[in-house]
Amino acid sequence: MKLERITLENFRQYFGRQRLDFAKDKQHRVTVIHGVNGAGKTSLFLAINWCLYGEGVSNVGELISKEAIKLASSGENVEMSVELSFTHDGERYLVKRSRHGTKMFDGSIQVNSADEFIVMRILWDGQAQTIKNPIGTINAILPSNIRSYFLFDGEKIDGFAKPEAAKEVKEAIYLVFKLETLDRARGHLETAASDYRKELKTATSGELRGLLDEDEKAREELKRKEDRKAEIGIELDVARRKVADIEQRLREIQNVRFLQQQRDRIEQDLKVRRAELEDVQNQIRDITTTSYFTLVQPVIGRALHLLDEKRERGEIPSNIRRQFVEDLIAEMRCICGRPFTDGSPEHLRLLRIIDNTLPGALEDEVLDISATLRTFNGRAHRQRDDLTIHMKRRAELVDLIKDLDAEADDIGRRLKDSPLEEVSRLELQRQSFLADIDRYNTDTGSLARDIDSLKERISQLEKRIGQARKNEKKEKLLGIKFDLAQRAADAIKDMYQTYADDMRLRIEAKTKEIFKLLIWKDSHFQDVRLSPDFDLEVIDRYGRPARPELSAGERQVLSLSFITAMSRISEEEAPLVMDTPFGRLSSQPRNNITKFLPDLADQLVLLVTDEELRDQARANLEPRIGREYRLQFDSKTSCTRIEEVR
Amino acid sequence: MLKERLTQLFTLYDPTIQTLISEVLMLEQAHISMKRPHLKEQIDQIISRLANKELDQVDKNSDGSRSLFG
Repeated sequence: MKLERITLENFRQYFGRQRLDFAKDKQHRVTVIHGVNGAGKTSLFLAINWCLYGEGVSNVGELISKEAIKLASSGENVEMSVELSFTHDGERYLVKRSRHGTKMFDGSIQVNSADEFIVMRILWDGQAQTIKNPIGTINAILPSNIRSYFLFDGEKIDGFAKPEAAKEVKEAIYLVFKLETLDRARGHLETAASDYRKELKTATSGELRGLLDEDEKAREELKRKEDRKAEIGIELDVARRKVADIEQRLREIQNVRFLQQQRDRIEQDLKVRRAELEDVQNQIRDITTTSYFTLVQPVIGRALHLLDEKRERGEIPSNIRRQFVEDLIAEMRCICGRPFTDGSPEHLRLLRIIDNTLPGALEDEVLDISATLRTFNGRAHRQRDDLTIHMKRRAELVDLIKDLDAEADDIGRRLKDSPLEEVSRLELQRQSFLADIDRYNTDTGSLARDIDSLKERISQLEKRIGQARKNEKKEKLLGIKFDLAQRAADAIKDMYQTYADDMRLRIEAKTKEIFKLLIWKDSHFQDVRLSPDFDLEVIDRYGRPARPELSAGERQVLSLSFITAMSRISEEEAPLVMDTPFGRLSSQPRNNITKFLPDLADQLVLLVTDEELRDQARANLEPRIGREYRLQFDSKTSCTRIEEVR
Repeated sequence: MLKERLTQLFTLYDPTIQTLISEVLMLEQAHISMKRPHLKEQIDQIISRLANKELDQVDKNSDGSRSLFG
């Protein structure tokens, strides 16, 4: 970050709109801003901080110019803003933070909502592009938590050199050298890896392989069963052909031909009867599966009986619609066509019917329900009758088949016991083949059931395999995610200490180099050390730690050396903005610092009192000053005007 | 620049690991002023994107000569 310009509008004592340009070329990189105590140096310093970070300016009173508030009318809006332009990594940025307030009747200011904050990048064609994440962008350029190492109050920087400052030194190094960033990245990556590991543990590891094995086995089993079924089919055909051949031979043998022919007729009859029995059984099954009419028939009968009783008592109309009775009364004619007179028994009866009828819609409902119930009742009766007939026929057929089977058995026995050896042998063979056929049929049925079951299992396995394939891809991806997160976390962990030690040693060397330049008692101090515990120590000529004995000025120089060393080593492009940096220093250290400081920062902004910068110190800085301003405080208005000196 | 020095630290690692570290560091840096930034989802997005690329690469290299878990 290299500052270009700051524009203040109604910021504290800077009433109206005032501008200040910063020196930024290599040779003239120093901007000096003079002002007496209370002229507004610290306010200007705060303005830079507030504009970039909007924070760190608490407990400093009202930011909106009191003069602007005084001159505004009650209810009038007062705007305060700070604009800052800077370059970073070859790009130019504009930052503006503003606050609006309304002047109240009692003269106070009511601040309206939150501050407005915009960051814009200036494109190559001069167009300004608003950045969507302004806070993130500023943090990427100069994070708010390291700003105090670049924008600092000179009177307070000696903290790094205090004996108890190891924590601050460590924190500064952690933040400026992005060790904190590395640490957080490692932590977050380790957490991510741990989360992925947990997910992987619950994932269906190896499920697909198991399912594929199962599928393979099921398919092999299916093939075996289908092959066996086909073999049995062939054996069945062979056995059937053998039986047919035997029966043909029996038909050809004179003495037993009639028996075989009789058996043929019985077999034919059995075939017809068994077909009929199957048909009857199907019909019985159909009736019983829709037999709820039969089941509810007693209830329907009871309901109809109740309705009929009520109708007979005249509590509900007979199956005569009200409209039909009204028409008869209008025509004064009986249903048989005979006319009747007013007050006649027929007339009075029809009037009674009308009186006893229900309202139209309810009457219709009752009549419709009665009609429906009668339909149900009729159907239930029919079903019950049909069932009785079929059951009777079934019993007849079963008996008939039994008789036919017995007849066939008898023929078989007679053939087997035939004195003719061939006939007896043929019949024995026939019965053996028939037994085989029965066995083949049983086996085929069993195999068919197994095949259906296997096909169903394979179909389910296919579905599960499809899902497992999806899960496996997910699992594979999860595995890669875990691997990447863990390896990245490990890589950071491995390199972290190397990098931290390297940075510490570099800072140590640079701090020593700068301290030797800036300190006026260079022969008294032998060394500057930064321990692995980040303890910043100065060693005197006797080889003894000298930090507890350092004067306030010497501590300031040590701190300044440490800060500028960090700036140099980090190679961050950032300005050094120092508020009252030489207040505590006597002329000799001040002379030393002013001589070397411009070369230790890319851009140096000094907010100083006239007393801080005079004589040799002033002469040292003179060739490096690019811009110079004086803050003129007007005691009549309590406002400060920025005057350009150079 | 410090950013380049940090990048150089990881040059010996796999390019995907380098990209992952670089992107996560950028993300962390943008949120460094927050005490406990919630970056879980954003880091998962970075890892998922890179992991998907790796998975595509593994699918292409069907010879399986490359081991990701070695």
